[in-house]
Amino acid sequence: MAKSRAFDVRRQSGFVFIALSCFVLLYLPIILLVVYSFNAGTSIAVWEGFSWQWYVSAWQNEKVQDATILSLIIATCASLVATTAAVMAALATTRTTKFRGSGLVFAMINQPLMIPEIVTAVALLIFFAMIKVATGYTGLWYLIIAHSAFCIPFAYMPIRARLQGMDLNLEQAAADLYGRPWRVFRRVTLPQLWPGVLAGAMLAFVISLDDVVITEFVKSAGQDTLPTYMLGQLRRVITPEINAISTVLLAISVALVVAFYILSQSKKQ
Amino acid sequence: MIEISGLTKTFGSGDSAFTALKDVNVTIAENEFFTLLGPSGCGKTTLLRSIAGFVDPTSGSLTINGDDILSKAPYDRPVNTVFQNYALFPHLTVAENIGFGLEMQDRPKAEVQSVVKEMLELVQMAPMADRMTSQISGGQQQRVALARALAPKPKVLLLDEPLSALDFKLRKEMQIELKRLQHETGITFVFVTHDQEEALTMSDRIAVMNGGRILQIGGPREIYDHPAERFVADFIGDTNFVSADLKSVEGDAAEVHLPSGQAIEARSVAGGPTSGAVTIAVRPEHATLTAPGALLDGTLKNIVYFGTDTHYHIETEARSTFVIRQQNQPDSAEDHKVGEPVGISFNPGVAQVLRD
Ligand SMILES: Nc1ncnc2c1ncn2[C@@H]1O[C@H](COP(=O)(O)OP(=O)(O)O)[C@@H](O)[C@H]1O
Ligand SMILES: [Mg+2]
Repeated sequence: MAKSRAFDVRRQSGFVFIALSCFVLLYLPIILLVVYSFNAGTSIAVWEGFSWQWYVSAWQNEKVQDATILSLIIATCASLVATTAAVMAALATTRTTKFRGSGLVFAMINQPLMIPEIVTAVALLIFFAMIKVATGYTGLWYLIIAHSAFCIPFAYMPIRARLQGMDLNLEQAAADLYGRPWRVFRRVTLPQLWPGVLAGAMLAFVISLDDVVITEFVKSAGQDTLPTYMLGQLRRVITPEINAISTVLLAISVALVVAFYILSQSKKQ
Repeated sequence: MIEISGLTKTFGSGDSAFTALKDVNVTIAENEFFTLLGPSGCGKTTLLRSIAGFVDPTSGSLTINGDDILSKAPYDRPVNTVFQNYALFPHLTVAENIGFGLEMQDRPKAEVQSVVKEMLELVQMAPMADRMTSQISGGQQQRVALARALAPKPKVLLLDEPLSALDFKLRKEMQIELKRLQHETGITFVFVTHDQEEALTMSDRIAVMNGGRILQIGGPREIYDHPAERFVADFIGDTNFVSADLKSVEGDAAEVHLPSGQAIEARSVAGGPTSGAVTIAVRPEHATLTAPGALLDGTLKNIVYFGTDTHYHIETEARSTFVIRQQNQPDSAEDHKVGEPVGISFNPGVAQVLRD
């Protein structure tokens, strides 16, 4: 749209002020968090000079190590499961003729986006408690399944977008050239879909890595992920070690989201 | 041999139902260059996709060499398609695209390689074998699409307006190229176009379609010289329509009385009227300009010089326009004048009685 002299939102009084406040509110706390992760002292509010010591201490902290490993295992498994399910769901909602209730299926896939997380968390807590009583199993799979479930919509969105943007003629051409459905999927659909699949998996990974509420409710004793470990630490002494861990998490998330963005912008061939 | 009988396709149901194919009957012979010709939306693509297996006909039967193929999935039908937008695989090279059908059939690697090489040479794309399909021009993509469809040596090749995206010069070249390929491979071609000139120059036989029906099937000359229906006469080339009175029909010959009262022998049409008021069609170049007192008389309204020929626009006594096209001779002077009374004449058997 052409810029109009009569109305330019940037010239409205207060615009610059409000915009700036939003930026400050959003980014100042994060900047401070990052800055204080390099604090030489033990305070998270008083600057005493630059040091890497909190990164070193976090790195050497066995609890942090365990929580990190657990977080990575859960995020990896959950994003694999969620992405696989999302690919199948996206195929079912874009590659079949509209069936009765396909709208409902779409809504159900996206259910985690609509139901309050705390409700899901409580529901899962109760449900898994029943299973735990019945089977006695207290392992990691509860967390992996729970994470997979709420990651599916995030993996589903980019995959579905990619599928919808794809030329249906390509799959028909492959079938015309004697390709059976599964081979057409592997040789034509999947290679085209790949950027969407990667993007979906990365998004799911970040979402899983970041989760507190559901993890806190579902985890068994000793199953701390990085976010729940940090939450636990906050109840005791707060040192810049928390800042250091947060900064690393932030760096990983930003890297993944940037990669996701580049992938989803990648030329739709 | 493809035998299609009673093929009907209705899309949707209830109020939104739309019948795109209505009782289509056609037999296409082995090694034939068969063209489906008709305006946009007449059902050509729907018919082609029914043969390929992407449209499921509502009723009717479709066999290839006696095998019922309607019950088969697209990947089990011995046909290949050249898609209108080519549908080349963007993540594969030119050579991989061409080899795709053979790969899906699990042919041995060595065979795939040698067929791909042969196809690359057939369509003169050998130097581009390792390019991605986005790195070649539209005309080259067209050739790759053709090679890809020919590589598995199908019994039937279906081509959906394969030349419509090419510019004029390239289109003319590819028309000749396609004819050559059809001749060399001996494969049956079912070719879809809305371009009547393309249909006339390339086909062994043409089926003219409109509104989901096949109106007429015949060789290019027959379709052009003896259109069976007004739509066919109008869609292919230019035609004069004259109302006449049909007196009698004997085999191919029909006796008609023109508005001037003159009688002439016309050609009858199978399944057409045997008497009463009819319309006859006369091609502009099949009539000659004469002195008044001919089959039809009128006034010369306009003379248009076209280089190769001259068009005379005549207003007949029945107040309709009749166009005569006469080939020009070198250094001849125009000896007619606008406004003068003239006659229109044509030979017996030239006028065609139309079905409706
Ligand atoms: N999947 C479909 N659903 C509903 N109508 C369709 C569908 N495919 C084609 N049609 C209709 O059928 C008619 C014939 O289409 P088509 O065979 O593509 O014509 P052509 O190739 O001769 O231009 C058109 O009116 C078109 O709108
Ligand atoms: Mg079409």
